[in-house]
Amino acid sequence: MTDKKQGNAFTNNPIVRAVGVQKIVVVIVLIALVLFFCVKSTSFRQYTTILSIMDYTYYLAFLGMGVTFCLITGGVDLSIGTGMFCYALIGGYLINQKHAPVIVGILVTILCGLIMGTINGLIVSKGGHAPFLATLCTMMIARGLGSIITGGASITWPVAGSPNGWTRTLFKIDMGGTKLPLGFLWVLILAVVMSIFLNKTRPGRYIIAIGSNKEATRLSGINVPVYQTLAYVISGFFTGLAALAYSSAFQSMTPGGGGGIELNAIGGAIIGGTSMNGGSGTIAGTILGVFIMSVLQAGLPLINIQANWQQIIIGVVLIVAVYIDVLKNKKLA
Amino acid sequence: MEKIKQNAIVKKIGFNSLVLLCVMILLYIMFAVLTPMIKTNASFVSYARLVSALKYAYFLGFLSLGVTFVIATGGIDFSIGPVMFCAALISGYQLTSRGWPLAVCILICILVGTAFGLFNGVLVSYAGLPSFITSMASMMLAKGLGSVFTKTQPVSWPQSEEPGGWYRNLVGIKAGGMEIPTGLILLIIGAIICAIILNKTMAGRYILCIGSNREAVRLSGVNTKKWETLAYVICGTLAGMAALFYVGKNTTVLPGLGDTMNNEAIAGCVMGGTSMTGGVASIGGTLIGVLIIALLQEGIMAMGFQIHYQYIITGLIVLVVVWADLRSRRRRN
Amino acid sequence: MGDVILTMKGIDKSFPGVHALDHVDLEIKKGEVHALMGENGAGKSTLMKVLTGIYSKDEGTITYEGKEVEFSNPREAQDAGIVIVHQELNMLGHLTVAQNIFIGREIMNGKLIDDKRMNEEARKLFDQLGIDIDPKETMSRLTVGKQQMCEIAKAISHEAKVIVFDEPSAALTEAEIEELFKIIRDLRDKQLGIVYISHRMDEIKVITDRVTVMRDGGYVGTLITKDCTKDDIINMMVGRVIYEDPKTESAVAKDAPVVLKVEHLNAGRMVRDVSFELRKGEILGFSGLMGAGRTETARALFGADPKESGDVYVNGQKVEIKTPQDAVKCGIGYLSEDRKRYGIVVAKTVAENSTMASLENYMKGLFIDKKKECQVAQEYVETLKTKTPGVDQLVVNLSGGNQQKVVIAKWLVRNCDILIFDEPTRGIDVGAKSEIYQLMNELVAEGKSIIMISSEMTEILRMSDRIVVMCEGRKTGELDIAEATQERIMHAATLRD
Repeated sequence: MTDKKQGNAFTNNPIVRAVGVQKIVVVIVLIALVLFFCVKSTSFRQYTTILSIMDYTYYLAFLGMGVTFCLITGGVDLSIGTGMFCYALIGGYLINQKHAPVIVGILVTILCGLIMGTINGLIVSKGGHAPFLATLCTMMIARGLGSIITGGASITWPVAGSPNGWTRTLFKIDMGGTKLPLGFLWVLILAVVMSIFLNKTRPGRYIIAIGSNKEATRLSGINVPVYQTLAYVISGFFTGLAALAYSSAFQSMTPGGGGGIELNAIGGAIIGGTSMNGGSGTIAGTILGVFIMSVLQAGLPLINIQANWQQIIIGVVLIVAVYIDVLKNKKLA
Repeated sequence: MEKIKQNAIVKKIGFNSLVLLCVMILLYIMFAVLTPMIKTNASFVSYARLVSALKYAYFLGFLSLGVTFVIATGGIDFSIGPVMFCAALISGYQLTSRGWPLAVCILICILVGTAFGLFNGVLVSYAGLPSFITSMASMMLAKGLGSVFTKTQPVSWPQSEEPGGWYRNLVGIKAGGMEIPTGLILLIIGAIICAIILNKTMAGRYILCIGSNREAVRLSGVNTKKWETLAYVICGTLAGMAALFYVGKNTTVLPGLGDTMNNEAIAGCVMGGTSMTGGVASIGGTLIGVLIIALLQEGIMAMGFQIHYQYIITGLIVLVVVWADLRSRRRRN
Repeated sequence: MGDVILTMKGIDKSFPGVHALDHVDLEIKKGEVHALMGENGAGKSTLMKVLTGIYSKDEGTITYEGKEVEFSNPREAQDAGIVIVHQELNMLGHLTVAQNIFIGREIMNGKLIDDKRMNEEARKLFDQLGIDIDPKETMSRLTVGKQQMCEIAKAISHEAKVIVFDEPSAALTEAEIEELFKIIRDLRDKQLGIVYISHRMDEIKVITDRVTVMRDGGYVGTLITKDCTKDDIINMMVGRVIYEDPKTESAVAKDAPVVLKVEHLNAGRMVRDVSFELRKGEILGFSGLMGAGRTETARALFGADPKESGDVYVNGQKVEIKTPQDAVKCGIGYLSEDRKRYGIVVAKTVAENSTMASLENYMKGLFIDKKKECQVAQEYVETLKTKTPGVDQLVVNLSGGNQQKVVIAKWLVRNCDILIFDEPTRGIDVGAKSEIYQLMNELVAEGKSIIMISSEMTEILRMSDRIVVMCEGRKTGELDIAEATQERIMHAATLRD
């Protein structure tokens, strides 16, 4: 009975335990993946590839960080992909069509995320809906809303070099001809901040506690609905940031798009060791997991595997990641 | 006392469908009145509009009937829309580019759906993955496979007069200027068969009981995994059939689409009185629910609004209906 | 022993249909370990729930530190210094030990949680208790015993004055129990009042100062532990008048064939090397205290839970039972102790539930033969005297006893020869109870064989032809009904290795 809980020598190594087995495996896979692409494709071995990987990483990392909080409570947020497009469309529409100052566009984009997150949180914690169903419905709503507000037109945020194009330099700055992925700095800073929030503050601690054992958390005198809602608000806020990152890195956004992106982000989080069952997950793991997703997205086209195959590969990766999670939880039980 | 209760339940079942029928009629009247008011020179009351709405209901109806079985087990299938598209793409490609006989292609179309159903069912019931994430992953697979098969090109099924255009008779037969809605007849036949499967066969009995109390069924010595898988297989097969009615209406199929159809099919299902928690399902209700959704979308189009309003309304419908179901359940306990 | 810290006097509590507590008294002194004993369902847990405000009392007074108190929830009781260490652990498996202990009242350093200080505080707490647990360890990685220690540490960190241990040793190993006792003695020396609920007679003798015995919701008496013997306590626990006549001798012929033979069954901690035989036409009683592993044995035998090893023979043939399907094919039926979860589908009709296990016999081609189904359901409604307006009634609308009859009907429709009745009369009123007894007797008279798991001594003595007694996953006794007495069963049920 006692020996059942013991791992082997490797998993009991203090360094391994501090970092987490899964994260070490993910790093190894990540390195292998990069090496694989380097061998298979000459164009992968260029500086621009890093920039392109980064462009995918920004928005996926933000979405991933946000949804990690929902996953840790034992829920999920499916509205993030479509929501990201919706908020970016609304913000871009204000800047382009209504000639609002860029800063207003940015603030509205983030505010939209916060509002949607709050709605999601309340529907789940107070309404008692299953998280996947509640956020699926708000995903539908977001999908319609983005299109209706822009009148069905595609939106491109001001391009680099144009008077209002400074949002793009937030993520990619031109330093004497060399473009630097400045956005990575923001991702890192936010990852550290959210890591501290998750592990070192009361709200973070209670979010983990809810996912671990909701009833025991309630009996400890903790206001469960408040912290459960908070997780979705965080997810909404980060979706707003992701909208900013996406619209700064890519060209046009079509209304009603963004569906499927949530699966990349959720997949990244699960690969990084966040459990679908709730209670466990780390921001660092999510960032690593997301990197796998963005390296795949940037690398697959370079070895002539097109978008349709990417969807298949990501679908398979998702199923494998969830299955590993199911097996992991079975072992714990 | 017991007798009254029983009567009340009987009444309630009839009552639900009755209310839905009233909603449908009211909706029709509302659109009939509003359409000329909002858009000049437009009318909602016409045979053409009715047929158009019905044609939308055909394929949606088959999707919805299928997902009713899955929801009855307490699961969910988010892959039906893309699976329908995938089936239409693969079989259509064989028909038009390879020149395979129509009958074979129809069979392939249905079998593609069955295969996806089997895939989902095995992963959910045998591997123990959560149904929502499994079906979302297979949604990606379906989208990817469909476009891989056609090399990302749209597929146009033959017109009625062209060779191999016979399938269009499934949707409607033109006879002397009038169109006979064969699709409606087939949909009703399909619904009757589904109702028989659900209520009169061993499969239906066990599917409903699994949704109600899986463990009690397992402890009665029933192979719950087998029957649960069957529910997904039925769902997939019906999605394959739905594809035939989709091409019957739209002719051209674009790769990489279909996820909005999931939500509309699920909305039709839950509106008809099938409970998201499983165990309760009504085929008749699903049918009326689908007709309401079809009417909604036709009305929105007739009034000249974007189709995106439909997404928002569908999302809200699911939220409200499921919330009402949760509430009545809680009150009963 | 010091002054009295807590007095419960004349506590009375009724639930609909059950008089759960009948004017019970309990007195706890500072610096004593007070055992609360009684059979399953004697009312110990209810009494503790009244104390901590989970239930409100109908009558009686609780005096705590000289003042009359009434707590309206566990939190209030906790703040006043009365803490329960529960049998089921309320832990957050993903957090560390220290994080668990301080959940909801974290030590802060500005805006951030000071995990370092929490670890130090937890370490101090453990040092004080003399336990060796790393506060930084993740809770789910600890053994059940260590988790229990953490619960105790958490209780103490609330500055408790009265601690209730609800069967703390049930999941502990020998060494861990030693550790637990050391802690309890320390707490006693610090003048805390301790209530110790346990079924283990030998522990009571070792650790407690006084014993209060309850029986059937009533107060029996309080003894000084060192002045009484194990038998004294057992007599007080079981010393009830038995209204129903117990069976005096087995109704089964000595040479009746063995229909079920189980050899060396192992399944987890709760089923260890269990072997027994069941003869044709026999009612084999399974007795034991809560957590003895009887239900687990039944579930492993039935294939509901995985088993590690062991052979099962049905009618002399060795059979491989991996799933409930296999068991049903062998003619075994199982009536679970938890009807609503494992027995019936409440949202379905009597007829649908009756044919659940044998639907293939009620088919006409591809379709369910509803007429035949209703016929057979009706037939069993009549034989079992199930009270229902009709076979199309939803089971949720039936009373507990009638729901139980629907489950029995399910297995009779299937024509199972071996029936496992797990607590067949739990939550069933007296009238329906005797009907079920009569039914069981009729069934064995027809040549069926029954394994009856029961926590009620009277039921065991009245129904069984032979009795298997279990304790902590092991078979600790097997008695013929002719030689069985309450005392002998209780002895075997408290026989630890």
